[in-house]
Amino acid sequence: MVPALEADALTILRGGRPALRGVSFVVRPGEVHALLGGNGAGKSTTLLAFLGFLAPAQGSVRVEGADVGADPAHARQRIAYLPENAALYEHLDAYENLDYFLALAGLRAVRAAIDAALDRVALAPAARTRRLETYSKGMRQKVAIALALLRETPILLLDEPTSGLDPVAIDEFNRLLRELANAGRTVLMVTHDVYGACQVADRIGLLRDGALVGRFEAAPGARIDTEAVHAAFVAREPA
Amino acid sequence: MTAALRIARAEWGFWLRSRLLRTALAVFGLLLTAIAVLSATRIETESARRAAQQQAAEAAFIAQPDRHPHRMVHYGHYVFRTPPPLAMFDPGIDAVAGQALFLEGHRQNSAAFAEAPSAAGVGAFGVPHPALAYQLLVPLLLIALGHAAFAREREAGTLAPLLAQGVRPAQLAAGKAIALGVAALAMLLPAAGLAALAVADGESPTVAALQMLLYAGYLVVWVLAVLLLGALLPRRADVLGALLLVWLATTLVLPRLAASHAATAAASGKIAADIALLEGLRNAGDGHNAADPAFDALRRQLLAQHGVERVEDLPVNFRGVVATIAEERLTALLNEAAERRMAQERAQSAQLAAFAWASPALATGIASRALSGTDLAAMHRFQREAEALRFEFVQGLNQVHANRLRYADDIQRSVDPEAERRTRVDASHWRLLRAFSFEPAAPAARRANAFAASVALAAWLVALALGLRIAVARLRP
Repeated sequence: MVPALEADALTILRGGRPALRGVSFVVRPGEVHALLGGNGAGKSTTLLAFLGFLAPAQGSVRVEGADVGADPAHARQRIAYLPENAALYEHLDAYENLDYFLALAGLRAVRAAIDAALDRVALAPAARTRRLETYSKGMRQKVAIALALLRETPILLLDEPTSGLDPVAIDEFNRLLRELANAGRTVLMVTHDVYGACQVADRIGLLRDGALVGRFEAAPGARIDTEAVHAAFVAREPA
Repeated sequence: MTAALRIARAEWGFWLRSRLLRTALAVFGLLLTAIAVLSATRIETESARRAAQQQAAEAAFIAQPDRHPHRMVHYGHYVFRTPPPLAMFDPGIDAVAGQALFLEGHRQNSAAFAEAPSAAGVGAFGVPHPALAYQLLVPLLLIALGHAAFAREREAGTLAPLLAQGVRPAQLAAGKAIALGVAALAMLLPAAGLAALAVADGESPTVAALQMLLYAGYLVVWVLAVLLLGALLPRRADVLGALLLVWLATTLVLPRLAASHAATAAASGKIAADIALLEGLRNAGDGHNAADPAFDALRRQLLAQHGVERVEDLPVNFRGVVATIAEERLTALLNEAAERRMAQERAQSAQLAAFAWASPALATGIASRALSGTDLAAMHRFQREAEALRFEFVQGLNQVHANRLRYADDIQRSVDPEAERRTRVDASHWRLLRAFSFEPAAPAARRANAFAASVALAAWLVALALGLRIAVARLRP
């Protein structure tokens, strides 16, 4: 089976210094894959490489078997990307933001579909016509997640998707991710939330200083052991 | 709707939701409209005033009583440089160069200001006119609107999700360029109104359209410059600072440096040229003195030609012939000096034009004045046409002097009242004065004068478009 996402000996330089060093992993279709790591570990860099925003100094990245460097447009067509801090337009309301980004993606969603997506992320109807400058961070995150859902792409790249959400919303979000994966969509999320990653991910990769230093996989019907991942995460030496 | 148009529409939406930018758009729109209306009113008034003065001067000349024709040579005549229709948009040298010339025998006078209000544009920054507003002020509006086009997306983190939707950087840049370009073209509406008015006043529609195209090109240069620096620099403060420096350098500093540099080129000026001419004029002979040795050869030739011994026996008035020949010799010398001076002024102008390659504002200004017919070439043409009229009516009067007056009466008229009476010719002769009307140069000539500066502006357009294309291809979140 062709992996949904594949990084092969990926090395990325940012500002002349290696942000990723020979990272290799695959994400299978329908899998929730989490990349864990501290600040500066190279998590967001990995996502940007899959979108073709950063070119590998060595190695390669592939989306559904296609080299991203050769065809970044294909990668962006197949991927919905949720950036950190849910970057959206503050002067627009939720509907206007979603309309705009969907139109740019070449999609035209009817209001009912948008409402359904916003219902799914539990954004209160009364808030939907307010400008995002009045939103909390969590509310913005919900709009960004709704956009990722509405894109209906087979692959989702999520950068710290639960950042800013309250525990109830995190729980709902994790459930949503599982539903999406069960429906066949592939999720690659980067986070430093060990507990959240273990709750939702089928596999976890641990990044430290741009290198993949640990891999964890859930046994069938079970969750990944949070204690083991946490221990590896905080360990000074590679796991 | 294409991605670029959606991005453009979103940009307009952002501007219109910003109170500051909304106010800036309204203020600039009103300002440009006000300047256009004031300029149109001023030039229309000036044009009517100078046309009326021209008619009054001609009427006054023709209304002179019977008198000696040489008195009319010294009575002289005024010609006025009426502004061309497009002077409403770009008055060019109109406000800083004289608009009236006093024409008289034996002299080529300098142009002077016809009326005090005509010189109101001299000093400080002068009277604001549309061309100046478009060259200086509209770029500031484009900077205010567009400096954050990319930096705002980058700082807010929206650049990554934008590009992640499959929008290509070139589409993003095209959208921003369309938004800013349409704002620039909207600002051109008052100018287009003036161009239409100029066409109604007789201007060539082609030239008026070219004038608008020139300014559209200039504003597109600024659109591209704003977007180029926006794509290259990371923060909006950096972009704004860099753009203001570019604006200051290309619209204010460089044109003034260019003018200072051009002023160092050798050009003697009218007064210095006149002083240098004095010796040549002395050698040409005094046309008031038929006994001047400079005319001995002429006397001998005429006497031989007509087979007579004395000038009194010539069939023509020798004093009139001397006046005619003296005027011819003197005019040749004056014209030679005038052409020399005009060549020096053109050389200065060419030095100024060389700076057009470094300043789109300067290039636009030069081409704009050429198309409007308010450039140095127009001033030189006015001087040549005025001189042609001067020579024509002076020589016409000299011919009357030579053919209608008897030499014997002419030499006795200061001591013999009867002789003086007989030297007065009928006032109908004053109708030899041709009516003068200063018209704009032919469209082809003005297009040719504007060509080099327009090429410099086009080079800026191409260079900036290429630069933007390269910068945008490297645009990353």
